[in-house]
Amino acid sequence: MPPAAPSGRPADERPIRARVTLRLAAIMAAGAALLSLLAMGLQYRLVDLRMTEAQRTLLAADLDGLAALYEQRRIIALREAINYRSATSGGEEMFLLLDRRGEVLAGTLPSWPEGLDAQGQGFTVDPAREILVNGQPWLMVARELPGGFPLLVGRSLAPVDQTLAALRHGMLGLLVAIALAAAGVGWLAARQVMGRIGRLNDLADRVAAGDLDARLPGPRSPDEFGLLERHVHQMLDRIANLNRATHRLSDTIAHEMRTPLNRMLGRLDRIEGQEEVVREARAEMRQAIRVFDSLLDISRAEADQGIGGGLVPVDLSQVAGEMWELYEAPAEEKGLIPRAEIAPGLRVLGDRNLIAQMVANLLDNAIKYCAPGDSLTLTLFAADRHVLRVADTGPGLPEGMGEEVFERFTRAERDRARGIKGHGLGLALVRAIALRHGARLSLPRTDRGLTVEIAWPRAPA
Amino acid sequence: MTDRILIVEDDAEIAAAVTREVEALGCASVHRDTLESGIAEAAAGDYRVIVLDRMLPGGDGVEGMARIRAGGSRALILILSALGRAANRVEGLEKGADDYLPKPFEAEELRARLRALLRRGTMQVLDNDLMAFGELEIRLKARTVHVRRAHVAVSPKEFELLIYFARNAGQVVTRMQLLENVWNLHFDPGTNVVDVHVGRLRRKLEEAGSQAIQTARGEGYIFAPLPPAGV
Repeated sequence: MPPAAPSGRPADERPIRARVTLRLAAIMAAGAALLSLLAMGLQYRLVDLRMTEAQRTLLAADLDGLAALYEQRRIIALREAINYRSATSGGEEMFLLLDRRGEVLAGTLPSWPEGLDAQGQGFTVDPAREILVNGQPWLMVARELPGGFPLLVGRSLAPVDQTLAALRHGMLGLLVAIALAAAGVGWLAARQVMGRIGRLNDLADRVAAGDLDARLPGPRSPDEFGLLERHVHQMLDRIANLNRATHRLSDTIAHEMRTPLNRMLGRLDRIEGQEEVVREARAEMRQAIRVFDSLLDISRAEADQGIGGGLVPVDLSQVAGEMWELYEAPAEEKGLIPRAEIAPGLRVLGDRNLIAQMVANLLDNAIKYCAPGDSLTLTLFAADRHVLRVADTGPGLPEGMGEEVFERFTRAERDRARGIKGHGLGLALVRAIALRHGARLSLPRTDRGLTVEIAWPRAPA
Repeated sequence: MTDRILIVEDDAEIAAAVTREVEALGCASVHRDTLESGIAEAAAGDYRVIVLDRMLPGGDGVEGMARIRAGGSRALILILSALGRAANRVEGLEKGADDYLPKPFEAEELRARLRALLRRGTMQVLDNDLMAFGELEIRLKARTVHVRRAHVAVSPKEFELLIYFARNAGQVVTRMQLLENVWNLHFDPGTNVVDVHVGRLRRKLEEAGSQAIQTARGEGYIFAPLPPAGV
């Protein structure tokens, strides 16, 4: 595969931040709701137990009273007492006393409830049972007193149920309120955290867009975020220093090499009578400088890779057209069949000078390797990217050679054998320039010759 | 009055070489070796051209250009620098240099550029549509070329090339100058593509009977449509 352009960051970052915020808010809400549900559940259980226990105590007291009366005058006393209590009962108590034949002697009920068997003979509160009578819950004690008199004493559990129902309502409301509050707090907290992360992301974007000196304003806060910001700043400082040092180094190298060459050239001019030697020496010097410039240009383009800074809208069609105009004539002179199809008005973000150099290198390369009769075609068309294609029907790449032709100093053995001059830097520079522009470089398979294709990202409208 | 040229250059040997070329052109030269003294001198003296180095004690000549202009100098500025890559040249020209020559330079190249700058300073704005050089006539508006009244068909680029030659008639024009001024390219394309284009134009003119374009000894061409007087 061709060396891929640096993959872009996700196009929309705001929805991502929003998702994180929402997720945090939801987690906070769920967590708080779960905890308060547990606490309220325990409390609910406790209230339930205590209130039931209270009814049981009241029931035990009723039974104790009845037991005392029974001690004195047996069934007659019970009957009187039950009649009296039934008349004054507020509906929270239940009494029923039957005779041996099952007739009601006294009580609040017209008959013995179905499905309730008398258990034991005494007036103890155990065993007691909770049953529904006419749809209401009751705590009941059923006994058969000596001589076959069934006795039923009960306490209503309805007040307990009502209290618990009210409690449930209250708890539900509280739960909703707590969940909402927790979600709100979570959202606010997440938004604050995300806001500070967002600041760092914005900084990273600005740096990626070429502003290596961008920094966050204001003092660093004394927390983890402050520390993170400080670390990011330190890294940026280091990168900026390295970048400056690299540029300074290439400037210094240029100065230190070209100045002495300049003196040499000056002295060459003073040599007389050996014009051929002088001419060759000059050509060698020019060639050395070209190799050297290419290496620096490649390094520079590679260092700037992925940085959008310094790129401006360029009419790719126009640059391609101008370079074609320059190289069409040399191609014709060499006996090639040149042809160009350039779609007009295709724009990219770029550096005109670099793009011109790239197209020049591709065309120059093709002319160098093709023989009379070969065709040379430059095509530029718009697809999902702008595609620039230089195709020739020359010798193509040697067997087994592929993408490595774009590596520095890669040269085919047969070229050395044929005496074609070069340093293997032309295509390396082509690749560096393509990467600098985020363009994809590829070598599509062809039957004959070499085709180089460069897919450029479109300039934003 | 002799034209004055200021040389701001910290390498003594190169400064001496530049001085030789300046004097060979019949101009007076003044040499300064730091950016500060150069800027001061540019404001003090009336210079036609300033040859300005970049990596000078005191700073970058390209950054100093604004201060030279601010000092009231109307001199044309030729940057002469070891920062000779295409990107450096484009930067210098974009920041206001009138020409940019990378080191190492050849004597002919410097001479050609100094001459072009000196000419540019004196060139009258001609609203004349016709440029006539004896038998060779160029009509700027119609973009036509005639030799001995016969029309010579040239391509648009060949026409621009001829115009550039005509504006520098009688002077050596180098390949690098042609690439920069006619094609607006600031890198060395390696193979001599320029020769092919000049060759085509030259053949067309020769077929029409004009020997206007000649190869100059060394590094370029000379447009000399009129035979030298008195020979």
